[in-house]
Amino acid sequence: MQLSKHVPALLDHLIWVILVAVFIFFMTQSPVFLSSTNITNILSAAAILGILVVGQTFVLITGNFDLSTESTLGLAGLIGMFLIVPATAPYWGGGIMLNPYISIVVLLLMGAIVGYIIGALITIGKMNNFIVTLAMLLILRGLIMAFTKGTPISGLGFAPAETYFWLGHKALFEIPGVIKIPVAVVATAAVFVIGHIILNHRRFGRELYAIGGNRQAAIASGIDADARVRQVYVLSGLLAALGGWMLAGRVGSIQANLGEGYIFTVMAAAVIGGISLQGGRGTMLGALGGVLLLSTIDRGLNLMNVNVFWVKVIQGLIIMLAMFIDAQRVRFRSFEKVSQEPAGGQPAASN
Amino acid sequence: MDSASEPPVVEMLDIVKVFPGVRALDNVSFTVRRGQIHALLGKNGAGKSTLMHVLTGLYAPDSGTIRIRGTVHENLNTARAKQAGIALVSQHAKYIPGLSIAENVYCGMLPMKAGGFVDWKKMNRDAHEKLSRFGLDLDVTRLMEDTTVAERQMIEIARALFADASVIILDEPTAPLPKHDVAKLFEFVRRQRERGASFIYISHYLEEIFEVADHVTVMRNGAVTGTSAVRDITQQELIRLISGANVERYRRAGGNIGKPVLEIRKLARPGVYSGIDLTLHAGEVVGVTGLEGSGPGELARGLFGLEPLGAGDIRLQGKPYSAASPIEALAQGLAYLPRDRHGLGIVAIRSVRDNISLSVLMRLQSLVGLIDGGRERKLAGDYIEALGIKTPSINTAVENLSGGNQQKVVVAKLAATEPRVLVLDEPTQGVDVQAKVDLLRIVDQLSQRGVAVAVVSDELNELMDICDRIVVFYRGRIIREFRKGQDTITTARLLAAIEGEMGEKADATV
Repeated sequence: MQLSKHVPALLDHLIWVILVAVFIFFMTQSPVFLSSTNITNILSAAAILGILVVGQTFVLITGNFDLSTESTLGLAGLIGMFLIVPATAPYWGGGIMLNPYISIVVLLLMGAIVGYIIGALITIGKMNNFIVTLAMLLILRGLIMAFTKGTPISGLGFAPAETYFWLGHKALFEIPGVIKIPVAVVATAAVFVIGHIILNHRRFGRELYAIGGNRQAAIASGIDADARVRQVYVLSGLLAALGGWMLAGRVGSIQANLGEGYIFTVMAAAVIGGISLQGGRGTMLGALGGVLLLSTIDRGLNLMNVNVFWVKVIQGLIIMLAMFIDAQRVRFRSFEKVSQEPAGGQPAASN
Repeated sequence: MDSASEPPVVEMLDIVKVFPGVRALDNVSFTVRRGQIHALLGKNGAGKSTLMHVLTGLYAPDSGTIRIRGTVHENLNTARAKQAGIALVSQHAKYIPGLSIAENVYCGMLPMKAGGFVDWKKMNRDAHEKLSRFGLDLDVTRLMEDTTVAERQMIEIARALFADASVIILDEPTAPLPKHDVAKLFEFVRRQRERGASFIYISHYLEEIFEVADHVTVMRNGAVTGTSAVRDITQQELIRLISGANVERYRRAGGNIGKPVLEIRKLARPGVYSGIDLTLHAGEVVGVTGLEGSGPGELARGLFGLEPLGAGDIRLQGKPYSAASPIEALAQGLAYLPRDRHGLGIVAIRSVRDNISLSVLMRLQSLVGLIDGGRERKLAGDYIEALGIKTPSINTAVENLSGGNQQKVVVAKLAATEPRVLVLDEPTQGVDVQAKVDLLRIVDQLSQRGVAVAVVSDELNELMDICDRIVVFYRGRIIREFRKGQDTITTARLLAAIEGEMGEKADATV
């Protein structure tokens, strides 16, 4: 009983313990692991993952899934580029030559609209969130392929595109060889802070926990659960588009597979960070821990020259471990519940 | 049938079960004979369920002896209890809705043909034959989800009997049943009794006991208060045994009744209720009672926007009232405490604070739209103190509180919205005796502050204790109204009205 009392708390903060342990492990394995370049690399990778995880966290807390964000990310990054660059070689864009700032507005809007469509299908169409977002994942990926027709769209060397690359490519502050703070890292940090404030200190966020915890009770408490779910998907789509914009700047040239397979890492980071797939539980801080842990492991394995096949295997194992931890969390909570239930003076479930 | 000379099928002797802080079963002895329909009565929390959990092996007793068909069982668990012939048929029978009756009957042991294929013909033929042996002539190829609740229960009982059960526990089987199906179920149960099966029958409906049971045992506060053959006892005696002569009660002194707050005129919802005229005044507590499905619960949920309300003229403080959703109801000042606490009342995994502030987060926001943590903690703290919620902290998850404290959290959430009208649906259901008293005191206090309160309940004693008026529904109509101070209100009179007896006739019989 004493054990079961402390285990959930430990499981909730386990992420930071593991992160430190993993950090120390890679430090001993690779001399350059702690270098400023490497730390910047970890954080840059974490920035894009982090944006998606924040969006996913909102969705998961309401007890829903959004599998489509990796495709929204890909399509948004692509559309932004497509609208800016010429149709000729080596760019292969749309030839629309749109102002990059307008282009950014368009891609963000696109993300929000995709999110709204998903939210409307789920709440008004009464469709299953898993299937709707899975279908959207396929639809958007197909659209990306149709856009690129197999040729990468590149903005490298095209001046207006450089403006577009600012978010993902530029440093906010840099002393060469000493320290570099990428814009992307600061942007994602801001998104996490805002996400945290919304979840904990705004009515909107607090209502999301209630919806995920017990949707019917939330509705009976005067919460418009359907509207909240739609808003959460809009937020998720918007953040995915922001991530797409960021990633476009990082890679400079966009292929049809931009962001493909990302969703597994996103889900893994969220779950490792303590976001319950059943909804109603989890914090932004935990999600951040999940993001940092996965980015660190990814980078560390890379530095150790671990074969890419084994990286896949290890990533799979980490996801399994995360699910295992989530299961334990639920198990210990229910233990706790059973052991305390009779104490309240209401012995059996009397009705 | 002379079963008295045979050894009992079930004999529980001096069973003690202690939960931290509660003596749930205090030297309880309980005996069921072969071919007996033994009613087990008592309020929620009286210990019936705990006793049945001990018999089905779910809880191990702290002391006492359990003998089933003559064999003493020291370490009873659910598997052994089942093997020994104890079966539980709960109110909501367990079944697989998408499969046929035959498949459900054979669940897990489908007859096979060579090659591992299911022998559908044999299965359907055998299932039909087996069921008709128990007097159930059903088309076994029908899907389980298309059967009536009564049919499901009978199938469930038959399944238990196939599995060689000798004692079947029926836990409030008639609660979800329409009247004519109750008769069918009773006939079926009696027929199985003739074949030697024994039943433990748990119900809140006293009239059913006289209709179907041979023997009755009453429990209160974890102890047996009486056991008797049904023919040797009256309904009045049963009520006294159930509620206890000196049960702790909270009596409301009487309210300071003000202006009408909620006025319902000619409200009708086809097939549910019609011609409803009801006025709730500020500071008034009105009890609303009636049989399940006769209208009170439906009206309460309808007023809160959880069900269609129907057509009619409703005014709240003079303004036309309608609510398509709880949001609209709360915005107009009507709050509702749901009967289903776990489904609709609490967000179990969230904290006490989160639950209490849930409906008023808007009000707690500062100018920049952030929730004022200090005010929120104060709000939660104030209600915890005022309502006497026992919780280690405001951050404790509600699932870790007792039923009574969970219910108080729901009341706190409603009270925080500062409603004009408060509709409470079975507020004391599933809470312990002390919490019941507390809840009634809280209801009284809310009404003293000018809230118009309606209490939907079938706990007649409680209604008599706290209500200024009690209206009785019968088949979707209000057939009687009792006013405190003007009418003599007794359980018998209320029961007569609930059963549909009109004014004069009911009075004449008392």
